[in-house]
Amino acid sequence: MSYLDPYTVFTIILVIILIVYMFMETKKKPARVEYVTRELLVCYSCGFQVERDHEPGDFIGLVKGKCPRCGGDLKIKGIYSVDKSKILKAG
Amino acid sequence: MDSDTISLITQIIWLAIFILLITGLNQKIQMRIWAMDIRNKLNIIKRIIDEDRMRVEKIISNLGYKTPAVLVDRVLDFFVIEPVGIEPTDIIKRLDHTLRTGEGTLRRFIENSLPNVGKFERSLIETSMEILSGLNLIYKVIRHYLLTGERENNWILLMQLELVMPTIMKYVETYHMALDPFTTGKPIGDSLGPLVVYNLVEKSKMLSKRVVDDTSIIEAWLEDRRVLFVKAEGPGSNVGHPGAVINSLVEELKGSVDLIITVDAALKLEGEDTGSIAEGVGAAIGDPGPEKIAIERAATKYNIPLRAIVVKMDYREALTVMRKEIFESSLKAMEHVLRLIREETKPNSTVIVAGIGNTIGVPL
Ligand SMILES: [Zn+2]
Repeated sequence: MSYLDPYTVFTIILVIILIVYMFMETKKKPARVEYVTRELLVCYSCGFQVERDHEPGDFIGLVKGKCPRCGGDLKIKGIYSVDKSKILKAG
Repeated sequence: MDSDTISLITQIIWLAIFILLITGLNQKIQMRIWAMDIRNKLNIIKRIIDEDRMRVEKIISNLGYKTPAVLVDRVLDFFVIEPVGIEPTDIIKRLDHTLRTGEGTLRRFIENSLPNVGKFERSLIETSMEILSGLNLIYKVIRHYLLTGERENNWILLMQLELVMPTIMKYVETYHMALDPFTTGKPIGDSLGPLVVYNLVEKSKMLSKRVVDDTSIIEAWLEDRRVLFVKAEGPGSNVGHPGAVINSLVEELKGSVDLIITVDAALKLEGEDTGSIAEGVGAAIGDPGPEKIAIERAATKYNIPLRAIVVKMDYREALTVMRKEIFESSLKAMEHVLRLIREETKPNSTVIVAGIGNTIGVPL
């Protein structure tokens, strides 16, 4: 067992570190954030607000449904995208 | 294996590395690796273009045009030549003329092929095809440099290409993602200016509305002041001609305007927060020149203060569906505009508020 001199050991370790580093470099990928489009509905008579998923064809200013609190018109105030993981699903 | 064999192998390895270094073969190997990587990314771009093209062609054929490929091909390679820059006399006029001709020609291409389609759908198809043509241009330029670099063994060219590829891929991805709002009509980050104006109009007492040059002019009464709102005519994909319209408005009023405010989305520096609001002086508008200079000239001629409010976002956020942060900032920006009107003018004065940007998804 005389052939494992310090120089060889050092070289082998260096090569292993290099391979591990290269492997980690290629595996590393930035996490992709997924976005979903939501819309904000506002009641102009009592100020009630609710956020829902966007439905195709909806646009800002569209009257969509009635306010559950006072019965006034619910209007779409904004359409925007939200990070999917940040939405708290209610119901 | 004894220690002699090992030392012989090490020596041969060192010798090989040495020969590679002095003959430049190592660079050749590296060049091959770079070229391979660029080619892979180029194939990704090609796949994205094919996918997007199919989407656009499907929309066009759904609207009743039988050979969408012909129309797409015609628009894909459409170009606009910049006017001569070394002779500055009426360069703005010439640039404006060229840009307007380009705009009108594209519009007519689509109108002739799809005569029964409404303004809204037409504008969406127009912008979708512009996105497609942008992607196609990126693809062709990258392919050109890759093939040139390979043919001429120009490893510096390939190295530069390899280094800019991540940035270019980001642009490609942004364009790809931008196709979603422009095919469905959702507001984008750049729609911030028009959205602020829309919200302000809702807050005020609207007196009249007219459309000039693809641009809406809404006269309203707000905070005891007469306010003229200017925004591109929505809700299609449209930036309008706010500069030219503000200029003619000021001329119409013979200069009796007390304040001009422009609201726009601005590119943020890396590290700045998305949706942060900044106030300043000047015309906040990012057109190639004609619109901006029209606002500046009108303001200067009659000595009207020119104020600007911008909301910061990055390139991707400006072109894809509006982020929630930006939407929330639009409400804050509205308060900024109201404060500016109260602070800078007296009751009964006349103010022009212009929401600059693409009004996609924002009506009025
Ligand atoms: Zn209500």
